[in-house]
Amino acid sequence: MTDTDRRSFLTRSAGALAGLSILPSDIFAFDFRSAGPRVAIIGAGRQGRAIMGELGKTEGVEIVALCDVDERRLQAGLRRTSNAQGFGSVVELLEGAGALDAVFIATPTHTHRQVAQACIAAGVNVYCEAPMEATIEDAAALARAARSSGAIFQVGLDARSNPVYQLARSFFRSDAVRDLVSVHAQHHRKTSWRTPASDPAREKALNWVLDPQVSLGLPGEWGTHQFDTVCWFTGRYPVSVRGTGSIRLHNDGRELADTIQCSLLFDRGEAMSYNATLANSYGGRFETLFGTNAAIKLAGTHAWMFKEADAPTQGWEVYANRQQFHNDEGITLIAGATKLAEQGKLQEGVGLPHPPLYYALGDFLKSVTEGAEVVCTADEGYRSTVVGICAARAVRTGEEVTIDDSLLSLG
Amino acid sequence: MIVRLAAEAMATRFELVLSGTDELFLRAAGEEALEIIRDQHARLSVFDRGSLVSRINALAASRPVEVDRELWELLDLCARIWRQSGGAFDPAVGSLMARWGFRDSVPGKPRTPAPAGFEAVELDRTTRTIRFLDPRVSLDFGAIAKGFALDLARRSLCQLGVERALLHGGTSSAIAIGTPDDLPAWTIEIPSRRSGVTPLRAQLADSALSISSPSGRVVNRAGQAVGHIMDPRTGRPTSGVSVSAVSCASAAEADAWSTALIVCSGRPASMRAASATLAQEGTWIIEPEEQHVFVPAPSCKGD
Repeated sequence: MTDTDRRSFLTRSAGALAGLSILPSDIFAFDFRSAGPRVAIIGAGRQGRAIMGELGKTEGVEIVALCDVDERRLQAGLRRTSNAQGFGSVVELLEGAGALDAVFIATPTHTHRQVAQACIAAGVNVYCEAPMEATIEDAAALARAARSSGAIFQVGLDARSNPVYQLARSFFRSDAVRDLVSVHAQHHRKTSWRTPASDPAREKALNWVLDPQVSLGLPGEWGTHQFDTVCWFTGRYPVSVRGTGSIRLHNDGRELADTIQCSLLFDRGEAMSYNATLANSYGGRFETLFGTNAAIKLAGTHAWMFKEADAPTQGWEVYANRQQFHNDEGITLIAGATKLAEQGKLQEGVGLPHPPLYYALGDFLKSVTEGAEVVCTADEGYRSTVVGICAARAVRTGEEVTIDDSLLSLG
Repeated sequence: MIVRLAAEAMATRFELVLSGTDELFLRAAGEEALEIIRDQHARLSVFDRGSLVSRINALAASRPVEVDRELWELLDLCARIWRQSGGAFDPAVGSLMARWGFRDSVPGKPRTPAPAGFEAVELDRTTRTIRFLDPRVSLDFGAIAKGFALDLARRSLCQLGVERALLHGGTSSAIAIGTPDDLPAWTIEIPSRRSGVTPLRAQLADSALSISSPSGRVVNRAGQAVGHIMDPRTGRPTSGVSVSAVSCASAAEADAWSTALIVCSGRPASMRAASATLAQEGTWIIEPEEQHVFVPAPSCKGD
């Protein structure tokens, strides 16, 4: 892109930002009251509860059914709904919940294929949490089933719906960071990652995420989301991945590492380093893309651009809100910045009012009710899932895993 | 075996002390309880533009807003205590808090009439909806949210089979499950504000405790420190009583009553007086029966 192209793009994008405006009056951005979609949530664990919470803030959505095999979780989940009916199995739900416009699948990763295919077969639109599945074979089979069905199928890689990430990506793709040097991402959270079971017989099933037979561990369960962000930004997928892992804190008999490091190599030689741990929470979750003109840091509800001293100044920067990070000054990336600046309300736009999940669910329901384009298709979800599975394999074996083009293609 | 866990939420630190034999189970159960507390922060915070409460505040003046069963439980409790306390506890003090500078907004004029409170809130039990009859109404669960979160965390722990635990939020709201090993109760010391006075000791066993004080949070207003507990009936911050402590089965209920007692400067008329006795040093009145209410000495309105 030439300098003139970049300038004109930035002028256009600054104007276009108004379209992403997060003004106080439309903080609750989605309104489905005219369509009134009837939806069900399958899985009432952590992610299922998070989905319920965000749908509860979304106008016009009727949660008519909730499904979980664990009675305690089912009852706790039902309290988060107005009038939903509870079901102990997907079969019962599909038979007993009446007509459904959509289901949200938040079951253990290795059950996604079975659950999602049952829903697709029943003609219900599906939002499926990521990673799509625990093996490449199952992920591919699910993606093919989704592709060949008439149902709308969105994979829960929510960065793609995140208004702040969308804005950051427009800058990234406009060449504002210039040539990509490297990427660093991390997810730090201090937690045992265990689910408590009141019934010892349920212990293993509830703690599937710690079971090496079915779980992708940190690189797959958490990493897939962050690998997807980077692939979505760059439009490219890594060609290989190396990894290591160890148990640093939770020496409680588990086999899966509670701390991992991965190095993903891209085709032009750029590397992405990725750390995840259950032993320390410092820094939380973020992705930083380093370029020769600037770095962009993405952190869920916030994003910043850190410019190099010799990078050209852009017109939009006069509006910019800035934040100091030790010796570095970050320009806060604010969706709707131009309009907010005109109203003198730029500060109110710093940070998203909702978690990214809210926007992903809203986007999916727009596809269901208005025919909007699916934000993350089965094909896109499949490719990022493959990266996550390969990273998990690299950590488990300690060997470099090649991510061949043929693996990424569904044919 | 004791497992301690902590998390930051609702602008304070929540801490759980769990006692039992299985460390892995206790830790997992405690982490789930902390998640419930964080979740309540996300739902009930008025400082979070995307919270459930912010949504109600934004919409309920224009139309009824349906709420889930869990939030209805809280609204129902608020309505009951608002009624019983004669409006001394009011969960719709959001506009008052803003007027006195306890929000990000610029403080308003304190001498104008008090904005509408919970009397302008309509709860429809049949549709489980909430509606504001006055656009100035603004819900603010600040006085009760910590207790409600602790109640839910306690419920989760009990359902999982945890038999002994103490949970607190910022040390001002606490709830106990069972008792510690070999002891009759969890003991919490409530220091007196008078020097030389022996601190009061609350004994908790399957019960909750809440302590309120206007000096818990203050802002500077025209050179004067203003406490954060509002008297919804006058539209002004309370200034009479320094500390109140209430113990009962529910932490949310204890939170609401400890606020009401500060506002009333003592026991409201609706509260039983028969069991009230003066604590030593003249600082506290204790009602050991039923609700175990501790209130400051100076006034016993309604006797």
